[in-house]
Amino acid sequence: MADLMQQPITWGSVSLMVLSAAVLLLIVLGYVTYAILFERKVIGWIQGRHGPNRLGPFGLLQTVADVIKLLIKEDIVPRNADRALFILAPVIVFVPSFTVLATIPYTRNLPFADLNVGLLYYAAISSISALGMLLGGWASNNKYSLIGGMRSAAQMISYEIPLVISFIGVILMSGSLRLSTIVEEQGPWFWQWNFVPQILGFLVFIVAALAELNRTPFDLPEAESELVAGYFTEYSGFRFAFFMLAEYVYVYAIAALTTILFLGGWHPPFPFLDFIPGIIWFLLKFCLVVFTIFWIRATMPRMRGDHLMSFGWKVLLPLSLINVFITAVVLEILR
Amino acid sequence: MTTRTEELLLNVGPQHPSTHGVFRLVVKLDGEVIKEATPVMGYLHRGTEKLAEDLTYTQIIPYTDRMDYLSAMTNNYVFCHAVETLMGIEIPERAEYLRVIVMELNRIASHLVWWGTYLLDIGAMSPFLYAFRDREKIIDLLNELSGARLTYFYMRVGGVKWDAPEGWIQKVKNFISYMKEKVDEYDDLVTGNEIFMARVKGVGTYDAETAINYGLSGPNLRCTGVEWDLRKTKPYSIYDRFEFDVPTQTAGDCYARYLVRIEEIRQSLRILEQATEQFPDGGEIMGKVPRAIRPPEGEVYVSVESPRGELGCYLISKGKPQPYRVKFRRPSFVNLQLLPKLLVGETLSNLIAILGAVDIVVGEVDG
Amino acid sequence: MKGLVKGLGVTFKNLTRKKVTYRYPDVPLKMPDRFRGIQHFIPEKCIVCNQCARICPTQCITLTGKPNPDPEKRVKVIDTFDINFEICILCDLCTEVCPTEAIVMTNNFELAAYSRDDLFKDKDWLVANNTNVRSENSLNKRAKGAN
Repeated sequence: MADLMQQPITWGSVSLMVLSAAVLLLIVLGYVTYAILFERKVIGWIQGRHGPNRLGPFGLLQTVADVIKLLIKEDIVPRNADRALFILAPVIVFVPSFTVLATIPYTRNLPFADLNVGLLYYAAISSISALGMLLGGWASNNKYSLIGGMRSAAQMISYEIPLVISFIGVILMSGSLRLSTIVEEQGPWFWQWNFVPQILGFLVFIVAALAELNRTPFDLPEAESELVAGYFTEYSGFRFAFFMLAEYVYVYAIAALTTILFLGGWHPPFPFLDFIPGIIWFLLKFCLVVFTIFWIRATMPRMRGDHLMSFGWKVLLPLSLINVFITAVVLEILR
Repeated sequence: MTTRTEELLLNVGPQHPSTHGVFRLVVKLDGEVIKEATPVMGYLHRGTEKLAEDLTYTQIIPYTDRMDYLSAMTNNYVFCHAVETLMGIEIPERAEYLRVIVMELNRIASHLVWWGTYLLDIGAMSPFLYAFRDREKIIDLLNELSGARLTYFYMRVGGVKWDAPEGWIQKVKNFISYMKEKVDEYDDLVTGNEIFMARVKGVGTYDAETAINYGLSGPNLRCTGVEWDLRKTKPYSIYDRFEFDVPTQTAGDCYARYLVRIEEIRQSLRILEQATEQFPDGGEIMGKVPRAIRPPEGEVYVSVESPRGELGCYLISKGKPQPYRVKFRRPSFVNLQLLPKLLVGETLSNLIAILGAVDIVVGEVDG
Repeated sequence: MKGLVKGLGVTFKNLTRKKVTYRYPDVPLKMPDRFRGIQHFIPEKCIVCNQCARICPTQCITLTGKPNPDPEKRVKVIDTFDINFEICILCDLCTEVCPTEAIVMTNNFELAAYSRDDLFKDKDWLVANNTNVRSENSLNKRAKGAN
């Protein structure tokens, strides 16, 4: 793919790029379909239920049916809504979520766009989504939406900072912003992966990432019991589906990023397990992260706005700074 | 230039996920801070008290089921108890034991619903399902005994309708040991959870004096340190035969109310343990009741400890088959009176936590 | 932190526990014998005493009688017997007062309908509703003793 970028733009190379993006989109859509099902199943099992099991074997077609329902639903734009922004908001939320995936390497041989500033690209693009949520909340002209939009803007901005600072520890360790280099720099044994030396950064990252994802215990912007559905209260049909899709694509992105930054990417936990292809290891770790996110959702209550803010600024931010400091000092000593 | 700010008028309810039925709160928000809150109730008003004036005493009992539908047994009891007091009817021992057992089972079921829905309000999903899983066992027991899952209509003036079926007492005993384990599990899951504690500690605090002035009762009063439980202070039925504690807390916040209710589940299990142990082998389940129930002219007020507080029944009889007037003191309604005062200055998230901790049943609030 | 980890432990333990849901529409729910469902009516036993209509707290039972076809007997026989399940609260009082057990409870409970009119059940429907009849109708002391 990287060679493709260097070549002069021809019809052939452009169509190849579009095609591979389309394939990725399909893969992501397939993932989202089954991530939603998996989430409902896991939460169901935890709660003594079976989860969806009516449509198809083990309920495999449940999400497909849900999506079809959303597609054929009436598309409502409230009369007092700001029409242009209302329509634009889901697009602004979704497009960055999909764009960040371009930079994620799955194995040594399968990086899409192996940018040398991959991590920066991720951090920069993903924060655009907050704008879409705020816009959606504002444009709906609904009080619950507005409060949800405001909450999400405040939350996303506050947690972006510790998230990005927790990256820096990893960057210091590997000396690169290129995601594939970060993976390569992590050793072959599982205790050499970044989550052990960077344990503080890892914890900060997990917490901040959950907050970025707007997932329990940080699901304030869409806090059902308070705000009905938060910033997308007024959305229906396909536009609602876009918000949902963006949310799950971000779960995908964050899970992939956790795997790459802290869990050794495609490395097996022991070097002698090398015969199993890297993509399998990647997927296993990826699924573990996704499961943990769902598991946390099934357990935790929701945080309160003011606690969330003070936690972000007074705990996570200093912690992440300390982490950077310690990492830098230790690296300097070891050099 | 000065910025013009406006207050946001937000209608929480009548259709809202956290108002537990059709209850409406009109709140004035400044950002997320509440400036004023006005509860609007009456969406579920069915006029039980007025209807009762045209019904015979037996016919009123199924209506009481529907007031506080989470603890229908207590409602049944308070009305039957009022009529029995007025008529001076002796209740056979076996019936008394059955009444106490079903009331305590119902208290646990009611607290479980509160526990589950409160945690759902706070944002945790699983406790709700766990609570309903365990409540289902109580409902199955009561269903087997009385023939209904929610509106039991089990008590009659003078006794109870059905005797315990064979093996039922043993099933209750099994349930007690099952439930004891589960309450500990609830503690592990929620009580120590830091996020939960941060949400409810110090939220919605009031002191004992305010609570008494506003007529609060039940866990809403006991969370301020007042040891007032009608089962102890004004014993009715056969509660004086059992050993149990009245759980109190002194903090007066939502967390104190939570702890009081969890501890009450444990105490109810203790009562159940003793009641099933002492359960008489045989005997009547109906006292000597005249064919037509016509209490002598007079009036009576009785009160019992429902899961939500002091549930009272004031009855006036003119010697007719129908009562002249029935008035229920519905604890949910009374406990709600403090809400507008409590909510001022709180945030929207705290509104949900405070409203949930009051433990209202809208059927009872609206009567 | 400890509380959060403990909570995660509880939910993880529950992940593998037995599921408690019912396969309800596929497998019918078996209600206990005493369950108060929909009434079953036996017209031969009915003596048109009107007690059920009178005891009903919501007045959802309407019935009419006609002269006995056998001129020797003076007891009326039932002509129409309707229960309006829109307002019936399934309180069981009608079966409790019936002196001849002409109206008894069944364990059937599936009353959902698309139209309110469907909830108005007449004599034929109630006669045909003859499955899962409760066994203990007469065991209750009040029905035996007081009436």
